[in-house]
Amino acid sequence: MAGFIVLQSFLAGRPTTLDIGFVGDTQVLAAPLKQAAESKTLTIDTHDEATVAAGQDLVNNGKLDVLVSGDPAAPDVYVKDDISTTVELTLSGLAKQVAFNRALVAAGANPSDVAAQVAKANIKVTYLDPNAAQQTAHVVVGIFVAALLYVSLVVYGQIIAQGVVEEKQNRIVEILLSTVRPRQLLLGKVVGIGLLGLIQLIILGAVALLTVSRTQAINVPDIGAAAVASGLLWYLLGFAFYALVYAAGGSLVSRQEDLQAVLTPITIVVVGTYLAFFWVIANPDNPLGILLSMLPPFSAVLMPARMATGQAEAWQVVVAIVLSLAATFGMTRLAASIYANSVLKVGSRVGWLEALGEAQEARWRGSAAQASRAPRP
Amino acid sequence: MSGRGLELRGLSKRFGKLQAVEDLSFEVRPGEVFGFVGSNGAGKTTTMRMVLGTQLVDSGEVLWHGRPIDFEIRRRIGYMPEERGLYPKMRIGDQLDYLAQLHGATAQAAHDSVRQWLDRFGLAGRVRDEVQKLSHGNQQRVQLAAALAFDPLLLVLDEPFAGLDPEAVDSMSEVLHERAITGTPVLFSSHQLDLVERICDRVGIIQRGRMVAIGSVDELRSHGPERYWVDAPAAKPDWVSSLSGVALRSTDGSRFLVELQDSTSDQDVLRAALRTGPVHEFRRDLPSLLDIFREAMTEAREGAA
Repeated sequence: MAGFIVLQSFLAGRPTTLDIGFVGDTQVLAAPLKQAAESKTLTIDTHDEATVAAGQDLVNNGKLDVLVSGDPAAPDVYVKDDISTTVELTLSGLAKQVAFNRALVAAGANPSDVAAQVAKANIKVTYLDPNAAQQTAHVVVGIFVAALLYVSLVVYGQIIAQGVVEEKQNRIVEILLSTVRPRQLLLGKVVGIGLLGLIQLIILGAVALLTVSRTQAINVPDIGAAAVASGLLWYLLGFAFYALVYAAGGSLVSRQEDLQAVLTPITIVVVGTYLAFFWVIANPDNPLGILLSMLPPFSAVLMPARMATGQAEAWQVVVAIVLSLAATFGMTRLAASIYANSVLKVGSRVGWLEALGEAQEARWRGSAAQASRAPRP
Repeated sequence: MSGRGLELRGLSKRFGKLQAVEDLSFEVRPGEVFGFVGSNGAGKTTTMRMVLGTQLVDSGEVLWHGRPIDFEIRRRIGYMPEERGLYPKMRIGDQLDYLAQLHGATAQAAHDSVRQWLDRFGLAGRVRDEVQKLSHGNQQRVQLAAALAFDPLLLVLDEPFAGLDPEAVDSMSEVLHERAITGTPVLFSSHQLDLVERICDRVGIIQRGRMVAIGSVDELRSHGPERYWVDAPAAKPDWVSSLSGVALRSTDGSRFLVELQDSTSDQDVLRAALRTGPVHEFRRDLPSLLDIFREAMTEAREGAA
């Protein structure tokens, strides 16, 4: 990863040196060209050339990259087979400037006075919304959360489901469940892999930010602590809910080969939510979007999106958080029941409804009171 | 009235249309090795899981020392599932330490106990090996070590001898006996009836979720009709038919297998045999556990029909 950063900065910051020769009057262009190029990671070595013919020879045998001659306002430029866009555009701008200054002199004006006046002209931007600057950070964080949640759900949700199937497949779950309650085992798996995923994502995110700031590919906005905290909250809420669903899904099958069939519907919801994210960013006022942004399991992705656009009202955020917490709590119970009822069933895939039906049956039996009943959900 | 050890009272479990276990009652006393015998699908594993609590009971109860078994007791049951369960890519030592601690052992106690059992099973040198690198028999030893390493109150072993060579069977059954002698009840299931006959203090035969026969091996073997082998070379083939209360079951050369009714004295039969000439052998024919098992199966089938 560190190598990647170095490579990136090397590629982006690779210094290019061009040798450019100037003949006669065009010498006046040398200094301004060199100056203009400096801001564009381009170094220019300027050379005086006595004649056009001698300069052309040097261009032909590669000693010079560019030869400039003739009238500074309309220079003749010689290159072998290629010209740097930067050089071409800068030269043409400088030529126009020379022509402009000549016209000013002809009209009796002082070019440097005119330049000073022109330099003073400027625009002033006023943001009428005081949160405008913060919103950019929010949008960035919102997109980050959505992307991270999407990636981690697909990757770590899958790992959780695989872990559940693995324990079921190699039967260690029988030993574990004789000493650990199903809910503990399930939550342990979700929290453990969830933390692992979070740490990996933080490392990945930090590397990404470092790379971006080092290479100056884009300016990293000043992301506020509040924006990060809000992103983290939604990430945790969303991950907890979906991870439980993935874990319950994993407990339904006995072999890794059967896992995809169970996980596909979950993944479709995740992908759908991710796509809806961009739609909500574009249409933050749509009533359907507002509704979905408050309802789990969509809220974890869509609410940060609406918060990013600045359209989410405080009560909506509170409703979304409360519902999300409630849904995660409910899903903990439900997933634990499904898990407990299907994790010891080996063979063909257990249906969602079958596992749920048994879960209710088991709970009913539990409430039917038996002193010796296992103290399990 | 409540006994010590493990007691199952009227356990029943139904899976949909299948009555897996029906009104099953038996006990495993401290110091006892109890063999649980039955054909595939008879309900052995389900019963064990109900003891462990991984399977809910429909009705009935599981008692430990006369009181309903609870989670704290269950945590200290050494369980060996029929399908072996270990993390294949985890090191043996780490895995056993982890499992022993899950069952409530302290880190130090787990560590010491695990090393001690691995030493006992001749696996001390492989503490750092992954489980998947071991042979089948050695994996089974590790599995047993996992059930033993936290000093369990009770051992519940589902088919612990399946697929083991005779030497491994001997060392494993020796361990079971040692544990039993120190007061740990041992409940194990097996298909290998000769083994059960040799190792167990008591045997329960389960068929279609019901206990069809239970008792010590001697009790079970002497339970059937009294039969004797009589080797009387000079006897005529029909010498038995003149005796009352005795039936001829089969002959093998000069040997006759006779079955006595309850009122008949074996000494009368011996005297009758001696009257025919010399008697070289007069021996009680005790059925093997396999015979009893077959008989029990047949009776259960006829009863069900």
